[in-house]
Amino acid sequence: MTNPPDDKKDDDMPDFSDVKSGASSTAPGAEVFQTYEVKSGDSLSKIAKNFYGNGNAWKTIFDANTDILKDPNKIYPGQKLKIPPKIPPKL
Amino acid sequence: MKNLIAITIALPLATTTLACRKSEPPPATPAESAAPATTLPAPVSVSAVALGTAIGPDKRVTAAAESFGAKDTIYSSVETVGTGHARLRARWSFVKGDKTAKVDETTIELDAAGPAVNEFHISKPSGWPKGDYKLEVFLGDAETPAAVRTFKVS
Repeated sequence: MTNPPDDKKDDDMPDFSDVKSGASSTAPGAEVFQTYEVKSGDSLSKIAKNFYGNGNAWKTIFDANTDILKDPNKIYPGQKLKIPPKIPPKL
Repeated sequence: MKNLIAITIALPLATTTLACRKSEPPPATPAESAAPATTLPAPVSVSAVALGTAIGPDKRVTAAAESFGAKDTIYSSVETVGTGHARLRARWSFVKGDKTAKVDETTIELDAAGPAVNEFHISKPSGWPKGDYKLEVFLGDAETPAAVRTFKVS
């Protein structure tokens, strides 16, 4: 997965927006996801665009966070969202 | 008359017998069988963390390292023991003086039936900036990491 660029960049610090990450486990059925903290001005479409390169994938993020999100149009700064891995297209 | 004497003797005897029976300690009740000791399963905890440039099929680091090159994929193997549901978070950070920048945070949710090996990895196609980094491994929502490893990119 690719990290989205931070809205507030520290000029002294390098840019890690192109970092790719992954994880796996020997435990059967383990679920892997990234964590993203909502910032002011974010929307699920914007977050989906940053992580998946496709704003239409917002529902993937919404579906993974129905425990804290009831309305996809209402997200708040500070909320920590699960970002599931991008599902590769079926060949 | 004989009957009267017999009653006179028998009555106090019977009373004494009854009184004696009353003062006898109650028969000991059989000891209640002790409840079997229940051993609660130990919750998941982190038992080992290793860093390296490669992992094997068992997800353990096969090439341990504490210093990496700019184009390396950095692997971390996090071994856990215990059973039950657990959320394992790996937070990678760049450290410059007293400042830190989050590089990545990835979570594994698992239902462990015993010891498990979990791997986290990060890469940066444009190359890692030289400097100091750290990996913090958290369990659940804990603010304090269960394990911390530092490494360098040079």
